[in-house]
Amino acid sequence: MPDDERSTPLEQSLEAFQETVRKSGPAAMGSYSLIGAIILLGGIGYAVDQWRGHAHWGLLVGLVLGLIVGFYELAKAVFRR
Amino acid sequence: MMLGQEHAQELGEHAAGAAEKFDAGKTIIHHVSNSPIDEPLLHLPKIAGIDLSVTKHVLMLWLIAVFVFLVVTFTVRKFLKQERPIPVGFMNALEALVEFIRDSIALPNFGKKWVNVYTPLLLTFFCFIFCANAIGLIPVFEVLGLLDHFVLHTGPDSFIKHLLEGGTTATSNFNVTAGLAVITFFAIIVAGSRAHGVVQHWINLVPHGLAWPLYILLIPIELMGMLVRPFALTMRLAANMTGGHIAILAILSFVFLFTEMFGRAIAGVGVGLAVSVPLATAISGLEIIVVLVQAYVFTLLSAVFIGMAIHVHH
Repeated sequence: MPDDERSTPLEQSLEAFQETVRKSGPAAMGSYSLIGAIILLGGIGYAVDQWRGHAHWGLLVGLVLGLIVGFYELAKAVFRR
Repeated sequence: MMLGQEHAQELGEHAAGAAEKFDAGKTIIHHVSNSPIDEPLLHLPKIAGIDLSVTKHVLMLWLIAVFVFLVVTFTVRKFLKQERPIPVGFMNALEALVEFIRDSIALPNFGKKWVNVYTPLLLTFFCFIFCANAIGLIPVFEVLGLLDHFVLHTGPDSFIKHLLEGGTTATSNFNVTAGLAVITFFAIIVAGSRAHGVVQHWINLVPHGLAWPLYILLIPIELMGMLVRPFALTMRLAANMTGGHIAILAILSFVFLFTEMFGRAIAGVGVGLAVSVPLATAISGLEIIVVLVQAYVFTLLSAVFIGMAIHVHH
């Protein structure tokens, strides 16, 4: 008898949920890295602005770098074999 | 003169009333954040300018670490002393958990060669984060506070009063999740270095066979990416754990906000019974799933990051 027929609907749902979460690992890594890169590098840029007294150049450079690094990490996650 | 005095008294009363006004934001932040460092549970000296006093989240970390260590050690030792090695009771659940983490998280990411090397790290992450998340849903100290209020009647500077300051979910503190992510960060370097050698691990960070000008761009991007990964882990876990608690407290604060808005307690109680309590109960139910999923996702992402250092694909 196949496993699907033996297990209850709740077990099947949980197994499907578990499988979805497991498969979404690399995608989650890409998306979190994208957001994390923008927040981290933007934050560092903002901190540099506050420290050196620049007018937003640090924040701007940080955000652009964050976008580049974030999308690079996302591309690595998406195109990973 | 009398009029002036009356006016001053009126202003004073108004100011006192304003001071007692319910501030939902402040109350919520007080309930989710760590206890203040200037009022610690245990005073310890400063070393190199760092105050090592024990706050509530530090106490929670210690309690959880001791709890996980004792429960797992006791259960496994009891199992090993058995004549017939058949797991029963809690050992059965523990074995199922170990097999689940090993087979569904560690094996696909590390491969057969490294699975037994890094599975203990993942299991430690999962058990520790799960317990830290779960204890935040149990109102242990609040019950202690009620007991103190009605039975014990301890003084304002007592240990129990300090325990009521701040939230109990240590994983909603960015410093705690940052500490866990730093472990993952070093685990990535160690895993890559053990699998390929120290020098080759750093060479593996960038793809091979590209034109040299591209390396000028890629090397800094990869180095920044190395720092981004633990930061993403830090931010994700702490934000998720804080978010759920803020949602519950915000919904419960409707009771006090409506009481203030209409000037009648019945308005607040009505909103509480009709909206706040059922909704907060439902979100608390959802939080039970969140507690599990967040521990699982942190473990899974750590495994993915470590796996990427072992099996390099560009």
